[in-house]
Amino acid sequence: MQNQSSTAASMASSGISTAIAKPVQLICAFLLGAAIIYAAGFVNTSAVHNAAHDMRHSQGFPCH
Amino acid sequence: MIFRQVVFYALLVGTLSGLVLTVAQVWQVVPIIHSAEVFEQQAAAVPAIESAGQLEAAHSHSADDDEWAPNKGFERTAFTLLSNVLTAIGFAVVVMVAMMASISLSHKENPGFKWQHGLVWGVAGYTIFWLAPAIGLPPEIPLAAAADLEARQIWWLFAVVSTAAGLAGLAYGKSPWRWAAPLLLIVPHLVGAPHAPGAMFAEQPPAAAAQLEQLAQQFIGATAIANLFFWLALGLAAAWSVRRIVASTRSEFKSGNTATPDYKLPSN
Repeated sequence: MQNQSSTAASMASSGISTAIAKPVQLICAFLLGAAIIYAAGFVNTSAVHNAAHDMRHSQGFPCH
Repeated sequence: MIFRQVVFYALLVGTLSGLVLTVAQVWQVVPIIHSAEVFEQQAAAVPAIESAGQLEAAHSHSADDDEWAPNKGFERTAFTLLSNVLTAIGFAVVVMVAMMASISLSHKENPGFKWQHGLVWGVAGYTIFWLAPAIGLPPEIPLAAAADLEARQIWWLFAVVSTAAGLAGLAYGKSPWRWAAPLLLIVPHLVGAPHAPGAMFAEQPPAAAAQLEQLAQQFIGATAIANLFFWLALGLAAAWSVRRIVASTRSEFKSGNTATPDYKLPSN
């Protein structure tokens, strides 16, 4: 942990940019969110369906 | 890192609003699902009258299912809570990304995020993710006949994307495009959601069908209220989070703690 943080600190102080543009970060976050919604609401594997059954009915996701 | 902050706060927002939704559901919604399942078990006990094609479309779980399913009671509620929180986290990420993007799109110097904004975003989320799909495909109780699952899922997605684009166009679009935005709100309903032919509970004996119809009506009302509470909670919590993210990234940028200017908010 200490090693990692000191590396990060030295990178920051030496001005090496590890930054990813803000729009790219937001798009990545959006894709992650969409994937989570898909997994919980759309995946039709039996076990996933049964576990999420009541949620799907309640939130109006198409079910069965 | 905007990504890390959005995801971190979304975990918080999702957990909180998922809890709100679960409480509302356990109180109002789940009892209706269970009532409908009583009919389902009765229907499974008596061999159903086969009417060609219809049986396939009927929304039913076969009784001799040996697939895994959570046990009734605590386990089932726990999985409902888990999937509510999971879905809420997904919604929270998407809503917060949209909020962050709206700051860039906004023409004001400092749009800010007050609790009133949270309510507006909550109502927008409710309209996009619950109301618009529910107009075409009302939330259904078990046993209701429905069209092909894939067709309904595609229509659900179409309604959500189209409504989101329509509302975004109304809020941020410039004329003349702005005035085309309401069209996007209507198009999914002009196209129409896929529905199974015939009555919703045609498979059931008439007495049961009448009771199920009543349950189905109650169910739509109960889910409408539960999801409204959910989206208002999500909108408020997300607005609070975005305000904190913007404040923290702004001060970091100003104080020069970061070597990179990627935190700078575009000011139009």
